Amino acid sequence: MLKFFLWLKYLRRRRIVFLSIAAVALSVSLLTVVASLFSGFIDAFERSAVEMLGDVVISPPPGAIFEKYPQFVERLEATDFVEAASGTLASEGLLHVGRGNVRPVGIWGIEPERRARVNGFKDALLRQGALPEAPTFEVPGQPGKTGGFVGIGVVAQADPETDEYDQDAVLEAMLGERVVITTGTVDLSSSEQLPKRKMLPFYIADVAFSGVHDIDSGFVYVPIEVLQKALHSRKDTPATTMSAKLRPSVDPELAIAQITGLWRVFATEELGWSSHKAQLTSVDTARQLQYRSIREFRKQMWVLLLIFGVISSSVVVLVFCIFYMIVRLKRCDIAIIKSCGAAGLSVVWIFLGFGATVGVVGAGIGVTLGYVITKNIAMIESQISVIFGLKLWSSSVYMFNKIPNQVDWGWAFTFAGLAVAAAALGALVPAIVAALTRPVDVLRYD
Amino acid sequence: MYKLTLIIRYLLKRRITHFAVLTVALCVFIVVVVMTVMSGLVGDIKQKNHAFVGDCVVGTKSLVGFPYYEELMATLEQADFVEAVAPVVKNYALLSPVGSDRSRGVEIMGVDPVRQSRTTDFAQALDYRRDDVARAFVPLYDPNTAGCILGVDLAYSRDALGGYSFSAQPARVGLTLTCFPLNARGAPARAGSSEVATRRFYYSDHSQTGLARVDDSMVYIPLDQAQALCMAGALKRVTAVHVKFRSGTSLGQGCDQTRTLWEQFKQSKQGAADSNLLDTVTVESWKEYRRTFVAPLEKEEAMLSVMFGFVGVTTVFIVFVVFYMIISHKTKDIGVLKSVGASEASIMSLFSGFAIVIGVLGAALGVSGALLFLAKINRVENWLYERFNWQLWDRTIYSIGDIPHHVEFSVLAVVVCCAIGACLIGVLVPAYGAARLRPVETLHGTQT
Repeated sequence: MLKFFLWLKYLRRRRIVFLSIAAVALSVSLLTVVASLFSGFIDAFERSAVEMLGDVVISPPPGAIFEKYPQFVERLEATDFVEAASGTLASEGLLHVGRGNVRPVGIWGIEPERRARVNGFKDALLRQGALPEAPTFEVPGQPGKTGGFVGIGVVAQADPETDEYDQDAVLEAMLGERVVITTGTVDLSSSEQLPKRKMLPFYIADVAFSGVHDIDSGFVYVPIEVLQKALHSRKDTPATTMSAKLRPSVDPELAIAQITGLWRVFATEELGWSSHKAQLTSVDTARQLQYRSIREFRKQMWVLLLIFGVISSSVVVLVFCIFYMIVRLKRCDIAIIKSCGAAGLSVVWIFLGFGATVGVVGAGIGVTLGYVITKNIAMIESQISVIFGLKLWSSSVYMFNKIPNQVDWGWAFTFAGLAVAAAALGALVPAIVAALTRPVDVLRYD
Repeated sequence: MYKLTLIIRYLLKRRITHFAVLTVALCVFIVVVVMTVMSGLVGDIKQKNHAFVGDCVVGTKSLVGFPYYEELMATLEQADFVEAVAPVVKNYALLSPVGSDRSRGVEIMGVDPVRQSRTTDFAQALDYRRDDVARAFVPLYDPNTAGCILGVDLAYSRDALGGYSFSAQPARVGLTLTCFPLNARGAPARAGSSEVATRRFYYSDHSQTGLARVDDSMVYIPLDQAQALCMAGALKRVTAVHVKFRSGTSLGQGCDQTRTLWEQFKQSKQGAADSNLLDTVTVESWKEYRRTFVAPLEKEEAMLSVMFGFVGVTTVFIVFVVFYMIISHKTKDIGVLKSVGASEASIMSLFSGFAIVIGVLGAALGVSGALLFLAKINRVENWLYERFNWQLWDRTIYSIGDIPHHVEFSVLAVVVCCAIGACLIGVLVPAYGAARLRPVETLHGTQT
């Protein structure tokens, strides 16, 4: 009770203590915001991979291609660990959108209905995303025409001021438009090995907006059978990757082992692959495919937090200075407490507890401030953009159109804990000095 | 003189001031190291972009390009502020290695190697033909074949230290480029046919500009080949003319003069065939032309500075507390000084001078430590890599060589000034309080 009374008294009387609270709060809030933004970015990066690829991705050995993929997809879906699976035939080409407008694009041959069951692809479609039915390539008002989807960034540019697309306008302008892809392959069996070029005209049946800049600005989607016919007409239902969505609560590691086993049997029995070639097929989770990039992002986050953390450690010095000053100025209080029988350890606890309280209050304010800033980061960014004309977040630089605004509570509480420890550490030496105060030396002069 | 004596006395006797010095030193150390690395990276990217583009670009974003460029180049070359000009065709193509059934989208850049080298650092980016750039598109192994230059990351993989294992001579690699030729109206030149323009080239050299997006996706071919592949029509066209200014011409001045010449040129071509294509042409400095790549880095540098500013507030607090302590313990000194005639301004300047000394000492310590650390930073990173397999940046992912460690005087000056400024802000309130003390009260209080 006495300790609590003294803490309140010092807080009220020695307003300089609020400086240490402010410093702790500032450091904790800054570190919380930086860690939350970075973690949110990394999380969005990981999630985008799963949303675009599925939980598990099966890729052939370099130079090879899967055949009879629908059979393997059926086998996968017959298991109790795979919820849905689909195949993709990927290629690259040049898209001619209009007068003088040619751009390189990635082409994904897909089955939209199957793909929508494997990942969040359907949600990305501006027209069909909200419809209850499974997505299709049917072009509205033009039955029988070959349809395709285009990434929104392929056919439109985001507003340079707001970094946003006018989705309705793009959909209205592009729906039903005819575009042409030029792609090709090389017939390795011919003596000349000259590339065979294929023109794939299609009508835009929908526009995709996933929020991932590279996907939105670099890919078009066409029916897989159209691309198969154009590029690999001699092969039996080829695909360049297969994706699977796992059932809930299935361990991805276990599923990978089982899928690998299934694939090896299928490849050797149905495709006639050697066991060596079958082994070279990679089966990974989408997160594993992003591992190297994520590792780099995490490293950069650690380095940045370390830099700010080291500078923030000067809070220890600040708390030390303030508490040392309090101890020097309150020697009389200390002497009276000790003369009333308080042990040295009791006096240590008074100041150590006070230091920790300063840390707790500062950390509490810091975490709250960090929460408010992180949650309103988009608004803050837009205000900076309006006031200073400085657009800080751009999807073309940071991949995603939305700034992550989820607070990383793990980091926030870690920083709060460290702040409390730092404040207590700063108070330790003054507390010991206080404990060593001899009442007789102090009271003699008063 | 008494001020100096007091400052030295306080500095030596009041050990608490050492904490302020150390805190300032720590902040200065970290800010100098981080800002040197960051500004080094930004400066490096800027320099590489400048070297890649030249000083100024007269160009269009449209892939159709614009005609009459030869006349434009002649006009520019006659201007006394222009040192060199180079025509460029930029477009996209599908690249297929001979013997492979895979293809990938690439950017192609049609250049005249000699002109391009005079205008930009094109030749310096080459490996085998650096000293004989006129033959840059002639493969060493077969002078009779059409050569192309690949962005280095299209041809090689970076090792863990960011280097490449180049062979002594280029390997014989055939590559097929396929383009969509556009006529002057922007339509495919041979619409309705399945034909597109396809040519085979052989790898003659690689180009290492140090710009990740360029080195990873650019294929350079001779200008006339690029025109044949990408453009159709009676008039030859290009998408840009790069300009290098003579030394002594400032960027702004050169660009303004180029704009004036361009407007005159455009006027003179009014009514000529395809002159409508000239309407899409703009004149931009290299900074404007490459702003998509440079501006984000500059913004990040600015954001980092702002964040350091926030964290530096703690330093201001520490200086404040330290001076608050000193002044609350030295009221007797202040009382004596004022009683012998020292003015309020004198007391303020005494403590402000002390704060400056703390700032200067802290900054000197911090800067010395930072210089020492920066001098060894790459050695430290190598040691960390050898010992713990840890790198600041994975060089197989990022196109960054050594960690920049060249300290810029401007960065140092700004950081040191900020450190001293922070100390002055921190001392302001305590010094004002000291100046307002009344001698009679302080001396009276001391006697009792």
